[in-house]
Amino acid sequence: MASVTAPTDVTEERTSSAGAHLSRKKRLFFPFFLPAVTLYVLFLLVPTVATVVLGFTSWSGAGDTPRFTGLDNYGELIASDAFRYSFLNTVLYIVAGGVGTFLLAFLFTMVLREMRGGKVVRAVLFFPNIVAPVALGMFFGIILVYRPNRQGLANYLLESVGIDAVKFLAPENITWVVTGCLIWASSGFYITILMAAVDRIPPYLYEDSDIAGATPWQKFRHVTLPLTWDVVGVAGVLWTISAIKIFELVFVLAGPGTYSPPIRSWTLGVYVFDRSFGDQGAPQYGMACAAAVVMILLVSVLVVLLRRLMRRDTIQY
Amino acid sequence: MAVSGFQVRGIGERGRTSRLSVWFYRWTMFSTTSSAIRATAGYDEQLRYTQRSPATPSHLHHRLAATGINQSSGAAVRVKDYPDLLTDVCHLAKLRNITQLDRVVAMRSTRLTALAAASVLVLTACGGGGSDSGSGGGEAQLTLPGVDEYLNAPCPEVGTKPATDKEFTYWSMWTADEPQGKVLGKAIKCFTEKTGVRVNVQWLGRKLLTQNVAPALNTDTVPDLFDQDVSQVKAAIVAPGGTQTVEDVLDYKVGEGDKRVRDVIPATSWDFPANKDADGKIFEIPYELIGNAWWYNKDLVKDFQAPKTVDELFGLFDKAKADGLAAVSQDGDIDFYNAYFYTQLAERYVGAGGLEKVALDKTGQAWLSDPNLAKAAEPVEKLAKGQYLVDGWDAAKFPQVQQRWADGESAYLFLGSWAPSETREYLSKQGGDKGIAYATFQFPQPDGAEHKVVEQLPLGFAVTKKAKHPEAAKAFIAYTLNKDILSGIPAVADNLTPRADLAVPDSLKDIKAVLESDAEHTIFMDGLDALSGGKWVESVFYPLNNDLLKGKLTAKQFVEGLAAKQAEFWKTNS
Repeated sequence: MASVTAPTDVTEERTSSAGAHLSRKKRLFFPFFLPAVTLYVLFLLVPTVATVVLGFTSWSGAGDTPRFTGLDNYGELIASDAFRYSFLNTVLYIVAGGVGTFLLAFLFTMVLREMRGGKVVRAVLFFPNIVAPVALGMFFGIILVYRPNRQGLANYLLESVGIDAVKFLAPENITWVVTGCLIWASSGFYITILMAAVDRIPPYLYEDSDIAGATPWQKFRHVTLPLTWDVVGVAGVLWTISAIKIFELVFVLAGPGTYSPPIRSWTLGVYVFDRSFGDQGAPQYGMACAAAVVMILLVSVLVVLLRRLMRRDTIQY
Repeated sequence: MAVSGFQVRGIGERGRTSRLSVWFYRWTMFSTTSSAIRATAGYDEQLRYTQRSPATPSHLHHRLAATGINQSSGAAVRVKDYPDLLTDVCHLAKLRNITQLDRVVAMRSTRLTALAAASVLVLTACGGGGSDSGSGGGEAQLTLPGVDEYLNAPCPEVGTKPATDKEFTYWSMWTADEPQGKVLGKAIKCFTEKTGVRVNVQWLGRKLLTQNVAPALNTDTVPDLFDQDVSQVKAAIVAPGGTQTVEDVLDYKVGEGDKRVRDVIPATSWDFPANKDADGKIFEIPYELIGNAWWYNKDLVKDFQAPKTVDELFGLFDKAKADGLAAVSQDGDIDFYNAYFYTQLAERYVGAGGLEKVALDKTGQAWLSDPNLAKAAEPVEKLAKGQYLVDGWDAAKFPQVQQRWADGESAYLFLGSWAPSETREYLSKQGGDKGIAYATFQFPQPDGAEHKVVEQLPLGFAVTKKAKHPEAAKAFIAYTLNKDILSGIPAVADNLTPRADLAVPDSLKDIKAVLESDAEHTIFMDGLDALSGGKWVESVFYPLNNDLLKGKLTAKQFVEGLAAKQAEFWKTNS
C-alpha cells in the first residue's frame, strides 16, 4: 500500500506544488503586465489616437484651442504641392532606395560568403549605419559640393579622371543623390542581417552545387534566396518602416540645414516637421497630425502588401 | 654681392597649398639689405594655375609681360622702378588672404639670413601684413576694436524702474557667447545692478519662436520677454494671440534725462503694419536694424561707380566678368535669398506693401494686370540667362557660395547687413588677419519705377500676453535702448541700431543712410514670407522664383505661373 500511496502522494504533492506555482504565476501576471501596458498605452496608444483626432482639427498649439474642421486638413493636403512632393519622394525613397539597397545586399551575399576576410568586410560595411544621419548629411554635403577649382572630393575624383564635374546638390539631382546616399548608408545593415541568414544555410548545399558546376548566380537563385526568403521578407518590412521616416538626411543634404529645404525635395517626415516647427509662422499641429496619419496609413498598406507578396511556405532544412 | 634666389609660395585660404596657393614668380634678391628685388617669372607654374582658375592673377601675369620680365630675359629688375608691379603683388596677396610666406625655397644659394630678410622684405613692402598683425595694421582688419572697452564700461542709470516686480524671465534669440548675446548679457548685468531685479535668461537661439515660445503658450510657464525679427514674431506668436502690446514702452524713460523711448528711436523702425497686432497696436520695440544691399570689396573692385540704372548694374557685372571674376555670388539653397532679386525690383514699381496686396489677390490675376510685375522679373531673367551667377551657385551648401565671394572669386553679393560679420568670421577662421574692405550700394531704380523703397528688418523685444512680470520686462526694454547699452550693437556686434545718434560700423554707413532717408520703408520681401504662415511663398513663390533665377522660365512665364499657382493656392488656404 505504502508503495502505492507513495507515488500518489508524490503526484499530489507535485500537482499541488504545480498549482501553487501556477497561482503564483497568475499573481505575478499583473505586476509584470500592467507597467508595460500602462507605458505602452500612455506613450504610444494615446498619442496615436490623439494624432488621429487632432488630424481633424485646426490647432496652432500656441495657446489656442483645437477647432474641429472635419476633413479640411486632408483636402488641403491633397491640394498642396508641398505634400504631393513629400508623398511622392517618400514613395520613391522606399521603392528606389529599397531596390538599390537589396540589390547591393544580395550582391554582397553572393560574394561575401566565399570571400576571405568576409567577416571584416561585413563589419566595415556596417559602419555607415553607426553614424547619425545628420552627420552623414553634412558629410555628403561637403563631399559632393560643386565648386570650380576647389571641388568637393567626389567632383575632384571625377575631374582627375577626366570626367566633367557634376552638380550633385542642384535641386533637380538632389532626390537621386539622397537615394544614393541612403543606399550607401543602409545597405550595410541589411547585408549584416542577410549574411546572418546565409550563415545558417548548411555548407553541404553549396558544396553540392559546386560539384554540379553551379555558377554563383545559380547558387544564389536556387540555394541562397529560397533558404533566406523569410529573412528577406522581414528585412523588407524593416526597410519600409525605416525609410518612411527619412528626415535628417534630406533636411541637411537638400537644404542649408538651418531652414527647410525647397519643397521639391521634401519627404513626409520633413513635411510633418515643417508644419510643427517650421521656419515661419505659427505651428500647424492639425496639419502635421493629418500628415502623420497618412504616414501611418502608408506604412501599414506597404507592410501588408509586402507580407502578401513575400508569402511562401517556409522551407525546412 | 650676396645673390640668393627664392621661390616663394603663399598660404592660400584654408592652407590647402596645392590647389589654393598662388605660385608667385621667383623672387631673387640681389642684396639682403637693399629693398631692390630681382624678379624672374616662374611662368610654368603660373600658367598652370591660370588655366585652372578664372580668378587667377591674370592681370598680374599681363603686368609681368608688359614689364618685359619673362623667363628668357631673366633680367634683374629694380622694384622701385616698377611700383605698380609691387602693388599688384601685394594686392593679390591681400585678396588671396596670403599673409605669410609659408615656403621659401632657395634656388641658388641659401643663407638663413637671406631667408629671414626676404620674408620681412616682402611683408614690409606690402605695407605691413603678417608680421605686425597683432597691432591690427592694415586697412581691413578682422577684429573689432572697442569690444573690451564696451564690456568693461560702467553701467548707465535706469530711466523707468519697475515698481513692484523683483524678477522677470527672458528667452533670447541669441546664444550667450555670440556678440549680441554679450551685449544683452551686459544689459542684464547692469539692469540687475541698478534695480535689483533678477533676470532669468535662457539663451535659446534663432529657432526659439517655433520650438520654445509657441509650445510654451499652451502652458502657464511662459517667458515675460523674448526677441526675434518683427516678421517672424508676427507670424508665429502674434497671429495666435500670444503677445501684449508694448506701446506704453514708447513713453518709458531710457535713462538719459527726460528722453523717452519714442524720442530716441525713429517711428520708421516701429510704426508700420507688420508691427501691429490684431488691435492695431505695436507688439515689438526694435533694438537692432537689419538692412540689405549689394556688397563688394573695395580692394577687388576698382574704379567703382554706383549704378543708377539696371543697365549700369549689368555694366558692373560685365566689367567684373571681363576682369576674370564671376559677377555675383548667391547661395542658391536658401529660398529666401533667391527671392531678394525679384522682390527688390518689383517693390520699386508697386511701392511698399504693394507686393503683399498682389499676393493676396484670390484670383492671381493681379500678377498679370500690372505689366510692371513682369518687367521687374526681366533683370532677374537676364541675371540667370547671362550667366552672371558664379558657376556652382545652385549646387553648393550655404554658406559656401558667399565664402567664394569673401575669397575674391566673385565681385558682388546681395545680402543683409549681416554679410560683414559672417564673412569676417569665415576669413578669420581661415587663419588670415586681412579682411575685406566692405562697401555697399542699393538696387538701382529700374526703368519706369516710381517708388523709392528701402527694405529693413527690425529685431526687437516683445512681451507675452501671459507674462507674470510685464512691468520689469518693459522697463528692461527701455533700458536696453539707453545709448551706453545699445552702443554695444555697433561696437561689439557690428550691426545697426534704430538710434540715429550712435556710431555706425563703416561697412554699414551706406545702409544706415538709406534707412534714415525718406524712402518708403518696408520689411524684407515686403513681408511676403509671413503670408499664410509662410505657406504662400513655399508653395507659390519660391519654386517659381527659383526656376526664374535658374533660367528655366522667362519673365512672362514667371508671372503667369504665379497667377495660376496663386489662384490654386487661395482655393485651399485662408
